[in-house]
Amino acid sequence: MISPSTTASAKPAPRKARPLSRSTLLKAAVPYLLIAAPMLIVMMLIFFPALQSMVRTLFDENGNLSLARYTDFFQDPISVSNLSFTFQITLITVAILFVVCFPLALYLRFSNSRLSNWVQTLALFPLFVPGIILAYALIRFFTTRGTLETMLNIAGLSGYRTPYLKPAGIIIGLVWESIPFTVLILSAGLRQVDDALIESARDVGANNVQIFTRILLPLIQRPALIVFTLNFIGIFGSYTIPYLLGPAAPQMMGVYMQRTFSEFRLPDAAQTQAVITFLMSALVGLLYVRTISKQRAER
Amino acid sequence: MTDQAAPRPLFPAPTLRRQLRGSGKEIFGGFALVALVMTILGPISTVFLWAFALKWRYPSLLPTEWGLDYWQSTLTRADIARALPLSLGLSAVVTAISALICFPAAYAFARMEFRGKQFFLVSLLITNAFPRFGLYITIAVIFFRLNLVGTLPGVVLIQIINTLLLMIWIPTAAFQGVDRALEEAALDVGASRLRVFVQITLPMVLPALSAALLLTFVGTFYEAQGALIIGAPNIITLPVLMYALINNQLVVQYGAILSLILWMPSLLFLGFAQRLLRRGYLTAGFGV
Repeated sequence: MISPSTTASAKPAPRKARPLSRSTLLKAAVPYLLIAAPMLIVMMLIFFPALQSMVRTLFDENGNLSLARYTDFFQDPISVSNLSFTFQITLITVAILFVVCFPLALYLRFSNSRLSNWVQTLALFPLFVPGIILAYALIRFFTTRGTLETMLNIAGLSGYRTPYLKPAGIIIGLVWESIPFTVLILSAGLRQVDDALIESARDVGANNVQIFTRILLPLIQRPALIVFTLNFIGIFGSYTIPYLLGPAAPQMMGVYMQRTFSEFRLPDAAQTQAVITFLMSALVGLLYVRTISKQRAER
Repeated sequence: MTDQAAPRPLFPAPTLRRQLRGSGKEIFGGFALVALVMTILGPISTVFLWAFALKWRYPSLLPTEWGLDYWQSTLTRADIARALPLSLGLSAVVTAISALICFPAAYAFARMEFRGKQFFLVSLLITNAFPRFGLYITIAVIFFRLNLVGTLPGVVLIQIINTLLLMIWIPTAAFQGVDRALEEAALDVGASRLRVFVQITLPMVLPALSAALLLTFVGTFYEAQGALIIGAPNIITLPVLMYALINNQLVVQYGAILSLILWMPSLLFLGFAQRLLRRGYLTAGFGV
């Protein structure tokens, strides 16, 4: 598993007290110079815009401190329905992802057969399918008189109703897209569970269910939490799949923001929508940050 | 860090396998395989069929007429002919700039001790917690005022954001993995620091650096959302063009053929996939 960690040399070696010369100062500056450019980009293009937009949306057109932009948002029925639609789609998709991917990850962890190699290859395949191609493929597959309806027709089943341009279309696309990441992170977590641990539990008489609930579940809490938070954030702010596969109304927040910005030319309103998306994700993101910082502190 | 010729299974569990044999898990595997083939390969194969179809009408399971006629008309479309070199060039520039600024940073993170290192590393990981599209909108509002919307520098900047984490995370882990004893031994026998870096350190981290470069290039090539928001209407990359083709799909084949063209870099990437996976590059930078 790749994860840069600091070596345990946090304590600086005892140094003789001497005045800081120019060369030691320069030497101390070297690491900061090396990391300056990427950190500057992170600050300027991620933290600064996020913060700036949060502050800016707290002022009205006249520069007075006010919550007008937010009350506007929450009084507009379209905005509110888009926000709640985004929540619903996100939660349903994340739940389906767990139901689908957790058994897959367990199976891949404990099976070593040729069959499991195939299952793994297929489960990770969407990683190599860019979102935009996926959207196109799903449209051709699911659309009325598409491949799926053709196959159902041959099997003698009629009455097919396409999920294309319906909420179900978004969910199918997002699940499809997120399966590899979910399976990868969950299996990475399951792999950290030592075989010896499970065998010794078995030796003292634990059955499969006990091994699952007492050993596997507690040990993969962290990867499960990472998967939950990152999937939630990714899906909550998704654009391509809901734009191409979803209905015209209600829309997910990503689509709504883009239309507000590019079509209606209302950058301020788009910014408010973006900040609301940030805040919703921030609640979940906090969980993620806590998980990763706790883990780094333990190292 | 040597590569073994024979492919190793990703999740080895030989003893457990013995114990759990006959527990029915391979029946689950069989079901999973069938379901995955239908849901994963079904839509993808549809695109392949459309790209080589001349006529395909419901309710025929396969195209009734095959041919390459649409390939020529797709490849000679002016918008595609413009977008392809633009996309390739843009990905190359973004990857190069990203490498230039990230690899030295990775070296610093891996090999130097300095105050605030943990803070900087965690703040890199925190970038995961920002919804991308919302971020693009807020950046777009700023770029709009700076007249960067619709310009090449604007698109380069927004695409670099996506590359930072990977281009720092993977190389940092690689630099940390280098055996310091080897470097010290070389220094002891009188090699210069530069020579040690070029002849000892670099060869050991090269596989990881090239993996990061490859992942970044492919990822940038497919980046559509940032390019759509910042680049339109002047800078139209190949994936951005796909949006238009999907929405105005009078001729289904155009979209199918462009999908296959777009896909080629990804297939290259597929060839390295097993190696990237085994080393954990694909899960790098998520804090697992």
